Amino acid sequence: MKGAVASGTRPRATPELRARKRRELVRNLAFLSPWLLGTGLFFLYPLVTTVWLSFTHYDGFTSPVWTGVDNWHYVLHEYSFFWPALRNTLWFVVVIVSLRIVVGLVLGMTVISVKRGSSVFRTLFYAPYLAPPVAATLAFVFLLNPGTGPVNSVLGKLGLPQPGWFNDPAWSKPALALLAVWGVGDLMVIFMAALLDVPRELYEAAELDGAGSLRRFRHVTLPTLRPILGFAAITGVIAMMQYYTEPLVAGQVASGQIGGSGQQVEPGYPAGSTLTLPQLVYNLGFQRFDIGAACVVAVVLFVLSMVFAAFLMRRGSVFLGVGE
Amino acid sequence: MTTTTSQTPATTPVTDAAPPAGTRRQATLQWVAVHIFAVTAGLLFVLPFVFVGLTALMSDQQSLTRDLWPHPFEWHNLVDVWHTPGFGTWWRNTLIYAVTGTILTLLSSIPVAYALACFRFRGRNLAMMVVIATMMLPPQVAIVPLYLVWAKDLHLSGTLWPLIIPMAFGDAFSIFLLRQFMLTVPREYLDAAKVDGCSDLSVLLRVVLPMTRPAIAAVGLFQFFYCWNDYFGPQIYTSENPAAWTLSYGLQSFKSAHHTNWNLTMAATVMVMAPVILLFFFAQKAFIEGVTLTGVKG
Amino acid sequence: MTTPSRLTRRLAAGGALTALALSVTGCFGSSKGGANDNPNADVTITFWHGWSAPSEVAAIQATIDGFEKKYPNVHVKAVGNITDDKINQALRAGGPNAPDVVSSFTTDNVGEFCTSHAFVDLNPFMKKSGVDPVKVFPAAQREYTQFEGNQCALPLLSDAYGLYYNKADFKAAGITSPPKTYSEFDADAVKLTKMSGDTYSQLGFMPLYHGYESTITHFAAQASPTYFTSDGKSNVANDPPLASTYEWQKALVGKLGGYARLDKYRTTFGDEFSNNNPFMTGQVAMAMDGEWRGGMIDDSNSKVDYGVAPFPVPDDQADQYGKGYITGTIVGIASTSQKQNAAWEFVQYLTTDTDAVVNFANAIHNVPSTNAALASPKLDQSPAFQTFIKIAQNQYSNTTPSSPNGGAYQLTLQNLGYAYESGKQTDLQAGLEEAAHTIDTDIAQAQ
Repeated sequence: MKGAVASGTRPRATPELRARKRRELVRNLAFLSPWLLGTGLFFLYPLVTTVWLSFTHYDGFTSPVWTGVDNWHYVLHEYSFFWPALRNTLWFVVVIVSLRIVVGLVLGMTVISVKRGSSVFRTLFYAPYLAPPVAATLAFVFLLNPGTGPVNSVLGKLGLPQPGWFNDPAWSKPALALLAVWGVGDLMVIFMAALLDVPRELYEAAELDGAGSLRRFRHVTLPTLRPILGFAAITGVIAMMQYYTEPLVAGQVASGQIGGSGQQVEPGYPAGSTLTLPQLVYNLGFQRFDIGAACVVAVVLFVLSMVFAAFLMRRGSVFLGVGE
Repeated sequence: MTTTTSQTPATTPVTDAAPPAGTRRQATLQWVAVHIFAVTAGLLFVLPFVFVGLTALMSDQQSLTRDLWPHPFEWHNLVDVWHTPGFGTWWRNTLIYAVTGTILTLLSSIPVAYALACFRFRGRNLAMMVVIATMMLPPQVAIVPLYLVWAKDLHLSGTLWPLIIPMAFGDAFSIFLLRQFMLTVPREYLDAAKVDGCSDLSVLLRVVLPMTRPAIAAVGLFQFFYCWNDYFGPQIYTSENPAAWTLSYGLQSFKSAHHTNWNLTMAATVMVMAPVILLFFFAQKAFIEGVTLTGVKG
Repeated sequence: MTTPSRLTRRLAAGGALTALALSVTGCFGSSKGGANDNPNADVTITFWHGWSAPSEVAAIQATIDGFEKKYPNVHVKAVGNITDDKINQALRAGGPNAPDVVSSFTTDNVGEFCTSHAFVDLNPFMKKSGVDPVKVFPAAQREYTQFEGNQCALPLLSDAYGLYYNKADFKAAGITSPPKTYSEFDADAVKLTKMSGDTYSQLGFMPLYHGYESTITHFAAQASPTYFTSDGKSNVANDPPLASTYEWQKALVGKLGGYARLDKYRTTFGDEFSNNNPFMTGQVAMAMDGEWRGGMIDDSNSKVDYGVAPFPVPDDQADQYGKGYITGTIVGIASTSQKQNAAWEFVQYLTTDTDAVVNFANAIHNVPSTNAALASPKLDQSPAFQTFIKIAQNQYSNTTPSSPNGGAYQLTLQNLGYAYESGKQTDLQAGLEEAAHTIDTDIAQAQ
């Protein structure tokens, strides 16, 4: 982006210049003020407070009491849900992000290849992305019910094994992955736009060189798509670090526990397999009201997110256009 | 990375100009394979909708069996759902949240995006990094202190206000997208307007806004759906007051709170999914353009 | 040389940081109420309760109407469908929307309400009004509404658990009377189970811990366990009744077809509180459930001819047959309330006025929670209901004790149950020791 102020020689500080600089400052503040206020109120303040609270014991009634690293010791060593949740979150990040990219790419290429009726297929693959998460999760829990769901019914008729899906600790995460892949429409559309932008000449040149479709894919398509794949990876990781609604709703509904009257609801049914770090913040802070421990998990979540973000951004800063 | 024009728009990555017989057969096989795959995948993707719709029309008992086809068709389920206490309220609350949230987000994010795109000042890059950092922040990190302030100090828990008010302060994702798009407005237009004596505000209103309409539409749509689909926010702030529940929270409690069975729950799911899908059919172009924009401009 | 913009920026940053530091520490005061209100003044109190079914809401409203007739200066605004999460949140938030009187379906959080002072200690109020809790309330009800001497809640109707059985299925299997001991029960359950392919056409009993009311604490009550030592430490690793309960359940799971088959069958069950409840559809021949189930069956179109009996006891406690697990709804006064005297008048009426208690109990098919009401002839005298009354009056009936962090210890024990029944945990003693350790550290963390 051209046009940056040359930072070589500083113009003399004449009164007019000072006045203009002051006007610019006012103007900048005016336009940026909502965001500045918002960042201070809803980002900086909570961040600092969360870190501070993680070193206190606070139940929401009496004032917080400084307890040092007690909460940290508890969460990292005694709280039985922490490490399973961490492992699950990482599983989701790795599996779902890669699955969605692969499936999105494959579907995108398929829709492009189907010349006639491609818009019908595009709609079919995109529509599930629009389903609201809670509704989609409820639908999948019902569809994948091991005893009465249509999917196992069909599998049974075909003589195939009928997994326990959301009721089986070994299958609950794959079931959630299925749900996530069902909603891959947005990625598919993005990939389609990028695929269509690959210059035809590159393909023709490769073909002339004798490259088959697989080699054309590897040497023409993939390199050109690298920025968009990186973008999909970054947004995917961000989303999976915040993965909360679908696993929570799936576990609650699949367990069949009413739990409405305030009994401690079993987190991460079945057997803690659908627990994610964000859910722990809710469990500790809003069910146990152990606010200090909840903040410990929140800090861990924050650090992890920032580590991922920094790592991915370093790899992909070229297309984030920060420096422009 | 902006690609407003591509070199040769390709509709398929393979050209065929009189290929020899061997490759023609290969091409046909490929065509068949691709179409079989597409149809199978399409069926798999649409099947959940079909099953949900069919179950919504089943009777109570039948929804618990392995039957796939309703016997008889209980069309009244779709109406009964609306009589469930709260369903209409949830709709109203979700609309309020989504519409107000979207308007506030746009009003507050556009000036910020404009400033970050078109003004030059020290710390602009730092500001962009902060925007990106806030984009990557899971809401669960900030929720505890924020909830304590809203509930203990402001006594606004159990209402929609804690969800709506923060949207008047700009949304990081919207700012990011809008800013990326505004960067593509050619500098000459801005300079020309400035030369004509326009203030920064009128440059924004008269020059930049009209040219960024697609991005604004996309950002508006995204924000609308973020609010429509938001579960965590309503769970934290409105759960103690059923009169303030939104569709996402209400739907999740639907099955247990009202002791309903799967047929009504699926009917409710249909009622929640249908408007979104319908909206999509009428505004397809805007949707797809919007999604593409995030990828291309992002 | 500092340019004006740099200076402004530094000042702004400094100011922001100071404001941040101040705001972080300053926001977390506590809200307190008081019992200084004039109980004879005209006042409106807010009452939060958990009932949501239309018949139940009508019943509680009738009770409120009775109260308002007796105390015309106190008006009660009732809000229903409240769960403990909401109670906890509202009491911490305080403010004008916080309730004065709160009732909860579970006793799990009483310990937490007491230690966190979310509810006020009712002992002074009872003394002032001349209510002697030992005379008025049965022992179990007294136990689950207090913690370490702090009576921060009172019982508002109770639940007693027993055995529901399908009389027709019993006849068909040649069983003449309900089982009294675990051996008899296991044998009957096997007799009543009919396998069909890889599932069942009829199951004698659903023993899995996810099976609605088949929880470890409900089962263990039949063996009278001791969950905590007198100094508040967890006793679960040293408690034979509890360990034997886990083992009995696991053996029963094996006798009835194994975990996988049972769990798959369980996923075909309808909602617990709907007309598709598995006992009401005939999917299971016997079930452990509370006294409300009879009323639900009567009110529905279920064709099950049901019988009720106390749940069986371990063979070595056969002389204590007739006991059962007791729990119930609790009611307390929020510590943030400014109208505690008026609130006490309402709570006193709800919990001790014999006619009010009896009428309410009859209306929602719950067991009354005062000795006088239990013995009242105006109480529903149907044999099924009276079975539960007798269970409630049985001297060996017991409950789960209160704990400072609510029902967390019960969840820990349930989790052990899930692991043990599915075979994930094979060493029960090791599992119990781990559970004891978790319970102790969780309680320590909460204080």
